[in-house]
Amino acid sequence: MPSITGQPLENIVECENLTVIRDSKEILCDASCCVPRHSLTFLVGENGSGKTTLVKTILGLLPKLAGEISINSEILTNSRAVVGYVPQSVDFPKQLQMTVTEYLKYTANIIPEEVEDTLARVDFPFTHAGRPITQLSGGQQQKLLLAAELARDPELLFLDEPLSNVDHSGEKHILDVILEIKNSGVTIVIITHDWQMVSSYADHVICLNKNFICDQPNSCICKNSISKVKIRQIQKLTPDPTDTHDGYCYVDNI
Amino acid sequence: MQLIIEIIQIPFMQRALLGSVMLASLLGLFGTFIVPRKLGFMADGIAHASLLGIAIGILLGGIPLVWAAAVAVVLGSILALVDDSSLVTHDSLIGVFLAGGMSAAIIIMSLTPGYKPELFSYLFGNILSITWPDIYLLTGFFFSALILFKYQWRTLVLTTIHRELSSVLGLRARATKYFLFVGTSVALIAGVKLLGIVLISALLIIPFTSANQVSHSLRSTIIVTQLFAISGSIAGIVLSYIFDLPTGPSVAIILVATFLITLVAAKVNEAPIWKHDHVEKN
Repeated sequence: MPSITGQPLENIVECENLTVIRDSKEILCDASCCVPRHSLTFLVGENGSGKTTLVKTILGLLPKLAGEISINSEILTNSRAVVGYVPQSVDFPKQLQMTVTEYLKYTANIIPEEVEDTLARVDFPFTHAGRPITQLSGGQQQKLLLAAELARDPELLFLDEPLSNVDHSGEKHILDVILEIKNSGVTIVIITHDWQMVSSYADHVICLNKNFICDQPNSCICKNSISKVKIRQIQKLTPDPTDTHDGYCYVDNI
Repeated sequence: MQLIIEIIQIPFMQRALLGSVMLASLLGLFGTFIVPRKLGFMADGIAHASLLGIAIGILLGGIPLVWAAAVAVVLGSILALVDDSSLVTHDSLIGVFLAGGMSAAIIIMSLTPGYKPELFSYLFGNILSITWPDIYLLTGFFFSALILFKYQWRTLVLTTIHRELSSVLGLRARATKYFLFVGTSVALIAGVKLLGIVLISALLIIPFTSANQVSHSLRSTIIVTQLFAISGSIAGIVLSYIFDLPTGPSVAIILVATFLITLVAAKVNEAPIWKHDHVEKN
């Protein structure tokens, strides 16, 4: 089946000319990007550049004003079953008590006998299986969310800063899990500010930046708030690559 | 024991007890998903605004509670409709409903000639006014709602706990939201004859809030909510009969007392009482 652009299908996600407005503010304007199938794609950019907005729009959680989104070359609503999403944090209502075991049951249909293995996959202590999810730390909640999404066996998994609340010892384990599921064929998109992780593991990078500078035809400097990284082989140039303005640069094969 | 046998042989007490069990169970269930969404105020807003329907019913004739139910369905639908709007919050809208509904009702009442003795029973409840047709209607609503709860259960839980994930999973969140809001509104009106407009919110809010003090899992919260709601209603009705007290306030006082006890129990233990629903392994 051809993609939106009519090209042979090789991207699991394709966004064309996406415009998203939130609270009367244009967050994404005529943005296009793709996620290659089976890749580990990183979504980077300054705070407020629209990374989470882009992911939520792709997932159908936010409405788009214009543009096209396809996941797996099917209409978005028909493809949701294969998509997983782990937000940076979830504000679970404190008024409704739910245990870790119950959360896994409702989100991923995990039966009690499978809870231990499901939690072990993300190095979550099984001794906490009976605890209310609101009593877990931020890092534990993040691991639980990831465990539930992995158990749903998605083809495409979006992770919003998956290591932001995890302690140092847990980071390595989560990274190993991410690489393991990527190697098993799952396409993973990670929102991050961790440029070291990007340079070490990325197959593909989507850079959203309010101020980006493309100083040569085939290179791009994508800035974020803490560092700069030079990215080779620009996939798509902006209308005026020498100008500095709000916009997006899409880069491949860093 | 003799007293219990005597009570359950009285027809109006039979109707009151039967109706209260179904109402307590339903409102306890709806409250489990309404209160965590911080919409407890909805109960007061809808119930008070429904006085407009009762006033219209008294003015135009017909069954006032049917008019009240119609008003409640409209208001519940509006609440469900504007849920995603950032312009008006639920709290504000409920406040508008309450003020608008009550004001319009009082104006209509003032235009209605004659003494309105039934108004007091709508405000504070009157178990003598519960008829067998009321019970048949309530039974139909009760079982219909239970069936809908069964089919919407996972969506209700997930949209309450983790709304974004429910959308990613493709669950029918919108239909469930309408069921929750409209169902709650109708259940509140169904309880007006028992507890009255002023006190009906007690059954929606207090049993769940009390259960939440002493439970730590969804399963135990739901079971304890049902226990508190049903036993509180029955105890209130029986005590009101024995001591010749108004029924609605008696039920509400029992529920409030339960809440205070659970609050103290939770503070004393500093941990949930029912804390070992799941066996923990090392």
